[in-house]
Amino acid sequence: MPFVSTLMGFTGFGVGVSAGLMIGYYFFIYFQPTDVEDPVIRPLVEQDSKTLQDLLPEIPFWVKNPDYDRIDWLNKFLEYMWPYLDKAICKTAISIAKPIIAEEIPKYKINSVEFETFTLGSLPPTFQGMKVYVTDEHELIMEPSMKWAGNPNVKLGVKAFGLKATIQVVDLQIFTVPRITLKPLVPNFPCFSKIYMSLMEKPHVDFGLKLFGADLMAIPGLYRFVQELIKDQVSSMYLWPRTLEVPILDPNQAMQRPVGILHVKVLKAMKLRKKDLLGGSDPYCKLKLTESKLPSKKTTVKHRNLNPEWNEEFNMVVKNPNTQALEILVYDWEQVGKHDKMGMNVVPLRELKPEEKTVLTLDLLKNMNTEDAQNDKSRGQLEVELTYKAFKEEDMAKDEGSSEVVKAPDGTPANGGMLVIKVHEALDVEGKYHTNPYARIIFRGEEKKTKYVKKNRDPRWEEEFHFVLDEAPINDRIHVEVVSTSSRIGLLHPKETLGYVDINLADVVSNKRINEKYHLIDSKNGRIQIELQWRTSS
Amino acid sequence: MGLLSGMFMGIIFGFALMAGWFHMMRYRSSKRVAKAVDIKLLGSLSRDDLRKICGDNFPEWISFPVFEQVKWLNKQLSKLWPYVAEAATFVIRESVEPLLEEYRPPGITSLKFSKLSLGTVAPKIEGIRVQSLNKGQITMDIDFRWGGDPSIILAVQAAMVASLPIQLKDLQVFTVVRVIFQLSEEIPCISAVVVALLSEPKPRIDYTLKAVGGSLTAIPGLSDMIDDTVNTIVSDMLQWPHRIVVPISGIGVDTSELELKPQGKLTVTVVKANDLKNMEMIGKSDPYVVVFIRPLFKVKTKTIDNNLNPIWNQTFELIAEDKETQALVIEVFDKDITQDKKLGVAKLPLIELEAENSKEVQLRLLPSLDMLKVKDKKDRGTITLQVLYHKFNKEEQNAALDEEKKMLEERKKLREAGVIGSTMDALDGAASLVGSGVGMVGTGIIAGAGVMGAGAGIVGGGLSKAGKFMGRTLTGKSSSKKNANANPNASATPSMKSVLENNHTP
Repeated sequence: MPFVSTLMGFTGFGVGVSAGLMIGYYFFIYFQPTDVEDPVIRPLVEQDSKTLQDLLPEIPFWVKNPDYDRIDWLNKFLEYMWPYLDKAICKTAISIAKPIIAEEIPKYKINSVEFETFTLGSLPPTFQGMKVYVTDEHELIMEPSMKWAGNPNVKLGVKAFGLKATIQVVDLQIFTVPRITLKPLVPNFPCFSKIYMSLMEKPHVDFGLKLFGADLMAIPGLYRFVQELIKDQVSSMYLWPRTLEVPILDPNQAMQRPVGILHVKVLKAMKLRKKDLLGGSDPYCKLKLTESKLPSKKTTVKHRNLNPEWNEEFNMVVKNPNTQALEILVYDWEQVGKHDKMGMNVVPLRELKPEEKTVLTLDLLKNMNTEDAQNDKSRGQLEVELTYKAFKEEDMAKDEGSSEVVKAPDGTPANGGMLVIKVHEALDVEGKYHTNPYARIIFRGEEKKTKYVKKNRDPRWEEEFHFVLDEAPINDRIHVEVVSTSSRIGLLHPKETLGYVDINLADVVSNKRINEKYHLIDSKNGRIQIELQWRTSS
Repeated sequence: MGLLSGMFMGIIFGFALMAGWFHMMRYRSSKRVAKAVDIKLLGSLSRDDLRKICGDNFPEWISFPVFEQVKWLNKQLSKLWPYVAEAATFVIRESVEPLLEEYRPPGITSLKFSKLSLGTVAPKIEGIRVQSLNKGQITMDIDFRWGGDPSIILAVQAAMVASLPIQLKDLQVFTVVRVIFQLSEEIPCISAVVVALLSEPKPRIDYTLKAVGGSLTAIPGLSDMIDDTVNTIVSDMLQWPHRIVVPISGIGVDTSELELKPQGKLTVTVVKANDLKNMEMIGKSDPYVVVFIRPLFKVKTKTIDNNLNPIWNQTFELIAEDKETQALVIEVFDKDITQDKKLGVAKLPLIELEAENSKEVQLRLLPSLDMLKVKDKKDRGTITLQVLYHKFNKEEQNAALDEEKKMLEERKKLREAGVIGSTMDALDGAASLVGSGVGMVGTGIIAGAGVMGAGAGIVGGGLSKAGKFMGRTLTGKSSSKKNANANPNASATPSMKSVLENNHTP
């Protein structure tokens, strides 16, 4: 019976295959060790030219390209730090993963999931070169080339339905070239307010995934599929021009923009201590916000009065209501010599309720040190009325990202717009007799000037000028001139031109924004950085 | 039959499949490991490696200096500098001014920055070297150079005198900054950072002082005194082995291991000197000797009148913190009615001494320790010392530490009480000024600034105080800058913090 025989044959084949697989599994995989060994690394000098030839595709960028910098010191740093970093990262990862696992597993009827081993291995990531770009914008751009070919070993034991499975990830390799941009730069530590990350090419990812000790990634075709899947996933999120944005500083705080106003009304003081030998004291108050560069405000002096009434009002600009505080100092006025301090106190702004009038009676202290015994003495009291008003969101100017062109304000003509000129800085300007440069901008006969910078060959102005126009200035030019004034008056060379440049505005209108360094004419090496914007109402 | 052959075929097929898979696994695994090895090898290439790879086509833009160049970092720094300068200015002003106020010497009623800007020239990092000298520590040496154009003007106001502006010009700082990272197994993996200036090559801090609308040269010797003060401060505060320790991850970090601790005791007997130089017009020099390891703890012998070959035979005990880098400095002075003159100095590096082994040494006296500045090569005589180095054990170390602390506290008290004033002779003044500042090292970020300010003793006279303020600004800036670098997020102004802690709640 050939039919039965064939059927039997197939059945036998089926049973045989499973038996063979079992035998093969036990023979080849089960009895093989699952731990990851440290690879043997022979010094490069000992290797022959053939292995060196194989090495060439992986050669670092800094060897091949002069515009990449070597950062061996960082590699060394990472190498020394890696054992500690490894333990710290693993500890943190486990502590984060544990509660999540504990929450998830009951849904899938899994008894337990446990990390059997978790280590990132002995090989740290290496940086194979660093490239930086210098642009005219307020940003820092870095492009490190990072390669991590590690030997991590993550082994997960899963128990379900009385069975135990192990999943193991080994030999993870990630090669990537991220671009890190720090912008905008702000005059506040750490000096930038946002980090932008983006990948310049699709990352290379490779790893071994072992289920019951057998590497799934070794199944032909599967690895390529998984790799493509990962690459596409990652690149759909972070491949340039897509970016990952990490805010570091609050933009308002970073730019030190005012966020509110504090109304202070100094009412009166009571029972001040006498300071002058003859007669009473002559008190006045000084008000100052901490962290503020603005000069302090003063009330009038009330002569020979220990219970003065001022009833004077002041407005102060607040930049950060959470950390700023109002400092009130009472001084004794003197005709000659130093004014004596009669007492002080401090009111942190976060204690005030916005939009609400608060009348405070403050005890005057010698200083703000609570342990100072001298503060126990009574120095009198001061009554003030405080109101903090935060600016409303719409009052605040919109975030002026340096690359975005803001719309022109209301009231500009329909066809026209506003021409904005930002004079950033000049480089290498030099006068024959003096170098106290300022910039002069002439446009359609209208002249505007920046402040002058004393004795400086590389002045920074960072000033902005506006011209409202009825129509686009396609056929117009703008004249920017760097002029130096003598610091002395009435001498031989009162003024001197350090160089000028004429800029055609047609490009600005079509591009909306141009930020460039121009070479100055009639100057040796002088350059000037000017940003031009054309803001239209539409 | 069919069943059996089918089974047999099946087993072979299954087995072969498994074998194939296994082969594939091994192949891929070995490929991955090989790649990992390649990457690791290429991660740190030396000159020889590169020569072997490239052969004759060695790229000429590559060099391997001891301190690795960081062109990219400098590019970024110069771009960032205007912002850093502005941010730092504010922080310095907010944190140094209260200190200036606190430490202003009597006779001065007000002391403030009237102008402070760090200029347009960014500092340059010449190179970085990373090594691991101890387990669990990474040592990073940064070759730092700043020839900046900062504009610093201090307004000094004395009683009944209008504000006197004093300007610090042409500041130049060349130094190697050593940063030691203490590693830990908790994120962020660094438990503390130690900052110090490397003593070899010696830090160079140059500047010129100028009274706006006046001249400082009116008082002779003033600028030398200021230089001396600055040097003492730098070498006793910041220069290795002295250091600033900044704990990073707040809680439970024991930094005591990182602090400078007494390591041993040096017993010095100043025996005699021979052929000293005669400095007096009538008679002979009246020599006395000052010996010290740290300028903070100076000791001096009695004065022997009219003798060029004096015998003192006096014994002192000095504490050594770091035998490898520290040295015993011996200075011989001529006692005079006005200012004492220096007859010569000598230096004995401690590393040359064997522990527990008494030794007699004879040293040649030199006009200055800085051989570059020595002009005359005339013989200045010799000095003979008997030295014994004793290494501390644990108990002795703690005892010495306690004693040192006590001594500093006493000095601080004395200073506060006004006992140590401007009437002191130069030597004690120097000691007290350093001492009063060092008490704060642990607490103050800008401890350096405080130290400088406390120097009332050395420079007498009204105008001369200018020097101190200069120095104060200088160290104040450098140290606070460093702190800012180490922990930029924590740069909230200290004065503000204290204000908020003691706020008055209505």
